[in-house]
Amino acid sequence: MSTLAHTIAVRASGVDMFFGTPENQVVALQQADFEARRGELIMLVGPSGCGKTTLLSVIAGTLTPQAGTVEVFGQRLDGLGQEELTAFRRKHLGFVFQSFNLIPTLTVIENVMVPLLIQGRPFDEAHARSLAIIEKVGLKGREDGRPNALSGGQQQRVAIARALVHEPPLLICDEPTSALDKDTGGHIMELVRDLSRSPERCVVVVSHDHRIFRFADRIAEMEDGRISRVVDDPKLLDSTHL
Amino acid sequence: MYRLALNMLFGDRAKLAMLLCGLAFSALLMAQQSSVFFGIMSWTYTPMVNIRAQVWVSDPMVEQVNDAKPLRDTDLGRVRSVDGVAWAAPLHTSFVQARMQDGNFKLITLVGIDADTFAGAPAVLTQGRIEDLRLPDTVIVDEWGAALMGRMTVGPDGKPRSTPLKVGDTFEVNDIQARIVGICKVKRAFTGGPFVYTTYDRAKGYTLGARRTLSFMLVEPQKGVTPAELCDRIERDTGLKAWTSDTVIWSWGERSLARNTFWWFWTNTGIPFSFGTAVLLGLFVGIAISGQTFYSFVLENLKYFAAIKAMGAGMGVIARMLFVQAFTAGLIGFGLGAGMAQGIGRAMIEKGMPPFVMYPQILWATFVLVLGISFVSAIIGIIKVSRVDAASVFRG
Ligand SMILES: Nc1ncnc2c1ncn2[C@@H]1O[C@H](COP(=O)(O)OP(=O)(O)OP(=O)(O)O)[C@@H](O)[C@H]1O
Ligand SMILES: [Mg+2]
Repeated sequence: MSTLAHTIAVRASGVDMFFGTPENQVVALQQADFEARRGELIMLVGPSGCGKTTLLSVIAGTLTPQAGTVEVFGQRLDGLGQEELTAFRRKHLGFVFQSFNLIPTLTVIENVMVPLLIQGRPFDEAHARSLAIIEKVGLKGREDGRPNALSGGQQQRVAIARALVHEPPLLICDEPTSALDKDTGGHIMELVRDLSRSPERCVVVVSHDHRIFRFADRIAEMEDGRISRVVDDPKLLDSTHL
Repeated sequence: MYRLALNMLFGDRAKLAMLLCGLAFSALLMAQQSSVFFGIMSWTYTPMVNIRAQVWVSDPMVEQVNDAKPLRDTDLGRVRSVDGVAWAAPLHTSFVQARMQDGNFKLITLVGIDADTFAGAPAVLTQGRIEDLRLPDTVIVDEWGAALMGRMTVGPDGKPRSTPLKVGDTFEVNDIQARIVGICKVKRAFTGGPFVYTTYDRAKGYTLGARRTLSFMLVEPQKGVTPAELCDRIERDTGLKAWTSDTVIWSWGERSLARNTFWWFWTNTGIPFSFGTAVLLGLFVGIAISGQTFYSFVLENLKYFAAIKAMGAGMGVIARMLFVQAFTAGLIGFGLGAGMAQGIGRAMIEKGMPPFVMYPQILWATFVLVLGISFVSAIIGIIKVSRVDAASVFRG
């Protein structure tokens, strides 16, 4: 039992999430249960509108569900106030968004520094650490340019550098490859997988993109606001879908 | 993070330029209008600058320097006998019609000064000597007045033009001749036209019919007696009103005739209202343009602020970022606007029109108002960002 508790990175159980007014209610999550283990890359897949982004937001602490419990690296999120949730995200989370969300008026390295600076790290330390990770994602020499001068794949590399620069245990990616072509998407997923291979880390990726399913250790399928099936061998899923 | 906040601001050149234009324009409008206002208001106490004496004595009912209530000639003796008075000289001021050689009439400000002491004489004569006023029928005219009272002739190009009066020219006041023996330089006045200086006794002649001609008495204290002390003594002993002649309108001393004149105009005319309106307009224009531009800056960056929020920045950090951005723009905008106001003001001072007095207080007040504009802009931005949901970062 203790070893199992040790291996769990994220656990959400009985999560309900509704939007809108009581008369005009949209059910996004209904009694959703989800688990992610330490050291794994788990993918969340399913048809559009089934609640993938909502579940990801609940795990990230940017949405507070109406019912259920959420635990991330031993920290219960339900019952935390806005400020504590903010502090939790600052320390424990890295984000990769579908639309990159890089600030266009800042340079590449300034974008990467943001998580360290909001943690209150000194500017010079943030600069040095950001430079090191920019090198790791293969963008050495581009750090002082603007993100808009880079290709989509390069921009997503910057976003990955920003998501990992403060070494968060949980990395959350929503459709990280849907704005990229097949090859670029593959390279990005390789990078995510390699950078996150650590027993102290867990990666949750939401995706429609079956071309990248092979990078997952496990795949959780969603349907109508709940996890319907968890596939331990992604190759099985690959074949059923192709 | 504040360094990045600044880089975000400076990264968008077009927005920044518009923001700075709005702030600079309102700073310019506020500083420039206030300076012209104080310039015009400084004209109200012009006699205090042109006629130099340490203590002025007037009728007790007098409220400001442009509104003299004549005294009795015997009052002069009563003032001279007050302990601490070194000397006291009569002063006449009135508005009279002068008849020019071409037959035109001009309203002038007649200033009659004591022929023995020449107390109240103009400080700078560009032509002639003050002593020449002792010659019969003589006057000294100020430079600007000499041009204003000039003779109209037709120039070689067929256009009418005015030739300034010069030493030796004559005009008439109440059918008595006035011959110009000097030209002086004085500060312009709010009321009253050209300044025409003559002796006190001759001024009586020019204003025949006036029963009393003693407008003010100019008094010099003895060594060791301050003007304020002497004022107290004169008021106690004679029942007249005594004033000091300092022209610092920002201090609170009750005795300054200049300051009382300033406040008289402030409360009894519409000038402060009309200029106040212009300053308010500057403020609103500033809030509108800068607020609007800053707001669109925030809107444009809203999804990035949302992302920063999602990454774990509290509203405190984001609010401070927005304040840093708004106040930096405010500082630069103020610098540009105040600099432009000063440049325009310098040109105005050279021309003398319109009057321009930029007190440091004006700059301070403008500075505070511009920071106020920045503050309002930042608050609007903070409200907007605080409403955006961190969860929205996953959408779109
Ligand atoms: N803020 C919101 N307000 C109202 N309804 C919402 C909101 N967010 C999500 N929903 C609804 O909840 C349901 C689940 O949405 P969610 O975005 O989680 O789906 P998804 O699986 O991520 O879809 P997609 O693959 O298209 O991104 C949808 O019906 C959606 O319309
Ligand atoms: Mg989604």
